[in-house]
Amino acid sequence: MTDSAQAPVMADTRQTLARLGTNMRQYIKGKDEVIEQVLVGLIAGGHVLIEDLPGVGKTTLAYALARSMDCAFARIQFTSDLLPSDVTGVAIYDETVKEFVFKKGPVFANIVLADEINRATPKTQSALLEVMDRARVTIDGEAHAVGQPFMVFATQNPVDYEGTFPLPESQMDRFLLRLHMGYPSERDELEILRQARLGYDAIAPNPVVTRSEVAQWQALAAKVFVEESVLDFLLKIVTATRTETAFRAGVSVRGGLALRSAAQARALLQGRDFVIPEDVTSLAPAVLAHRLVPAHAPGDALEARRVVEAALRQIVSRLPNPA
Amino acid sequence: MDNQRPKLNAQELQQLQWLLGGVLSLFAIWSVFYLDVEALGAVLAATAGVGAALLRPGLPARVPGWLHKAAFPLIVAGFVFELWAEGQVLPAMIRLDLWLILYRGISYRGRREDLQLIVLGMFLVVVAGVLTVSVAFAAQIVVFAACALLLLFLITLNGPAPGVGAAVVAPNVRPAWVGRMGHLQLLRRVIACADLRLVVMGGALFAGVVVLSGLLFMAIPRFQFENSLFLDGLFSGKARSGFSENVRFGEVTEITQDTGVALRVDVSDAAQVPAALYLRMLALDEYDPAGGFRLSKDLRRAAFASERTVSRLHGPRGVRLAGRSDAVWTFYLEPGVSRYLPLPGVFSQIQFREVQAVQLSPSLLALALRREPATMTAYRMESPQLSATLPDPTYAAGGAAARRGPWQTLMQGPAAAGDQARLASLVREIGGGATLSPEAFAERAGAWLQQRHAYSLSPRVPAGDGDVLVRWMESRAAGHCELFAGSFVLLARAAGHPARLVVGFHGGSWNGYSNNLTIHNRDAHAWAEIWDGEGAWLRVDPTPGAAAPMGAVEPTGAAALHEGGDRGWSARVESLRMFWYRRIVNFDQRSQLETLHQVKETVQIIGQTFREMFGQGARSLRRWLGQPWTQARALDGALLMCAAVVLSWLAWRYRTRWRWHKGGRDHRADPVRREAGRWLRKLARVAPDWAVDDPAGREVREALLRLRFGARATWPEPGRVFAQAAALVRQRRSRSRAT
Repeated sequence: MTDSAQAPVMADTRQTLARLGTNMRQYIKGKDEVIEQVLVGLIAGGHVLIEDLPGVGKTTLAYALARSMDCAFARIQFTSDLLPSDVTGVAIYDETVKEFVFKKGPVFANIVLADEINRATPKTQSALLEVMDRARVTIDGEAHAVGQPFMVFATQNPVDYEGTFPLPESQMDRFLLRLHMGYPSERDELEILRQARLGYDAIAPNPVVTRSEVAQWQALAAKVFVEESVLDFLLKIVTATRTETAFRAGVSVRGGLALRSAAQARALLQGRDFVIPEDVTSLAPAVLAHRLVPAHAPGDALEARRVVEAALRQIVSRLPNPA
Repeated sequence: MDNQRPKLNAQELQQLQWLLGGVLSLFAIWSVFYLDVEALGAVLAATAGVGAALLRPGLPARVPGWLHKAAFPLIVAGFVFELWAEGQVLPAMIRLDLWLILYRGISYRGRREDLQLIVLGMFLVVVAGVLTVSVAFAAQIVVFAACALLLLFLITLNGPAPGVGAAVVAPNVRPAWVGRMGHLQLLRRVIACADLRLVVMGGALFAGVVVLSGLLFMAIPRFQFENSLFLDGLFSGKARSGFSENVRFGEVTEITQDTGVALRVDVSDAAQVPAALYLRMLALDEYDPAGGFRLSKDLRRAAFASERTVSRLHGPRGVRLAGRSDAVWTFYLEPGVSRYLPLPGVFSQIQFREVQAVQLSPSLLALALRREPATMTAYRMESPQLSATLPDPTYAAGGAAARRGPWQTLMQGPAAAGDQARLASLVREIGGGATLSPEAFAERAGAWLQQRHAYSLSPRVPAGDGDVLVRWMESRAAGHCELFAGSFVLLARAAGHPARLVVGFHGGSWNGYSNNLTIHNRDAHAWAEIWDGEGAWLRVDPTPGAAAPMGAVEPTGAAALHEGGDRGWSARVESLRMFWYRRIVNFDQRSQLETLHQVKETVQIIGQTFREMFGQGARSLRRWLGQPWTQARALDGALLMCAAVVLSWLAWRYRTRWRWHKGGRDHRADPVRREAGRWLRKLARVAPDWAVDDPAGREVREALLRLRFGARATWPEPGRVFAQAAALVRQRRSRSRAT
């Protein structure tokens, strides 16, 4: 990638991404960092798990992103009686053509909102495994590709565990980022209160991004240059989680790769064709925390999250910055 | 980064353990080559077996199960049989060890079996080292120790893990690691996983231990290994051919050339070495047609002084040395040659490297140890007198009376009257009926024998009646040195001159690398001595090829030795052994102390040199500073200071660049990236908000970030960016000073 050749592309990308961010900010107030992380997930081709209390804007965020793009969007409300076929689709016998016809499930979209994913049974949760990993569904031995780009936007409530099935570690590992909305600031909340209450259907911004543009970003992000010392730094963070006594087990290799992809995506988002250490440090908690289990797990998931993130921050702060 | 380094997995460690075990076995097996033990078959079989299993680790799985069951009983049975048949303990134990190593080498080994392999190998290496005391021992024990340490380390690593240490189900059941083993791949993995710092530190530690051991070895008093370990007692027979105490004559003889080294001689001055060196070991008097020549019991009793246990021995009393000589010859006699030490002539004194039980015979000029040594024997001879004439005051003083009693055998001939008559006839033929002086007779008899007989290592004495030597003399058959010398002795005695047969070594080759004389077993020789009737024995060598039958004056052969010196590959290897002998083995207490003093002095000299160098520099500087300051001197000083500062700065500034050019791929040494990082840190320190509100600052920051973290192909001109950064820093500093 040469500077002269890529400069216009980078400028275009930055402008389009800025437009996308502006579009989303119309509906999500005061959450620029969360919006940036969602865009990182989109550019990196990963999936995002939003874990927070009900009513802080998780679903709105997914709607805002999906409808700002010229993409197919589907929402699945996960419940305990949801079946895998309700997610992936099912082959039914068609009398007219006298054969089984595959009826696509809601995952055959570009942005899939898996709302309250931990309310579904593990079997149904697992139905998402293949599609999240390989962007395709295999029914009766036949593979069906889902939309391209493909992004799962899952939400879950970290406090109310009644009747839920916590996601297993293998599935957590497949999410690129775990985000927290958090409460808005007073000023932002006042702004929200001033506005009339809108339903999800009212979230209808003009699409500013096409599917091909997203695919182009994803291809571009994979080419963003990562210098050796930044890779060393990234690896030090990953290996430190494996020796840190605060965790039961360290981050997997997939976790390291995810951090690299996320850092590349953040660099692209900021109009750079190279990664700087700040890309890594700023995304490390979002990318790594949900892959780590504290050695002495507190009963509350929010508390566990705080313990893990604090330990991660400590690791990152004590490692020498390569700059 | 340590955490980043890949690690060998359990199977790779097992593969490495297998390889190390094989290498260690081969080193141990090959140590037998240094021993004088008939074990060539076992050595070759073990080498082939262990080598094949080393190269093809799947091979042991093909060895049938019954062989594994039968192997140990068969090996033990073979050992017992050898003990019973040959009666030699140590060779049998060595062969037993070899077969056991072979068995372990072609079986899959667990933790216990690898430990056994180390013990078996150690036995061979230690025995070889103790018996040869050679430089090979030192090298081999170092390599073996390194292999054994690594193997023990791997055994410790592999052992405790459940399911890994117990990976060997049976000696011929293929463990899981065998299928995936590729030597090259394993080597690459080991290189990739090896921590260079750890390897260097481990190597340095090991080298330190070796050096320290070497120093301790030099410092501690020597002792005789064989006496301490009773190893010589385990050898009951003599394995070498060459020198023999008895000379027998058969009708058919076949002498096989033994090219093994019997003796090495280190001379203080090569010019003193004669072209044809005779090293006598024993003189034989008694002749028995059936048994040949031997030293009679009576003469042995009379000629040898009583045994003395000494480390220093004075030369024969009553024999006057012809002039004072500072020559010192050091002899290194290989084990298994003889208990009689080779002597070039009379001497003033002999010093052994350890206390020895010896018997000296001035009359025979022979020096005998109590028993044949099992290890190399070193002794230093001072003022050796190389002469073809050996004074014998004892025999001279006895006169006619001396020719009786124990000395009567010096006139002994064939017992049969017929043989005596035939011998007398031959003597008449040589002398022409005249009574000749001993010298004249020796000349004529030597010439007569050489005229009638050619030299051959496979002589055929014509069949017939009577004494073998007489029959040979009457014929014109070829013969070897013993036939020539024995015949001459009989002729001389028949002519009325006392004569005796002398056995020892003659000749040798000059090693052009280590400048010493090497005498092989094939140089074993026999010649004669005839009594001159006045007080000395004259050396007579009637064998064709000798310089002259009568050699009164020894020609100096230094130049000839240098010209015809051995400069082949074997001589180069031999020179290593000589180097070892000179430096290590031949140390007595005094030379040992001298060496330690030398080491100490060398260290002191080096330290002193450095001190003087620095002291001189400091003195010169002080002197220079103390002189009155003129304008020119001040300018010189300032220039010097500037040059020093500039050079230091350049060295500091470009040290990473040098590393970058030298190392090439170490991204941490990339000078541009380092410089960009330096400016980023500096700007962040000088102006933390430099890139927020200042467009120029943002631009410089982006450029610096690109230089530090971006792809090389996208870099802006580094010099321009650094200049902009420097300008920004100046600007910020001046701004902060103004405010």
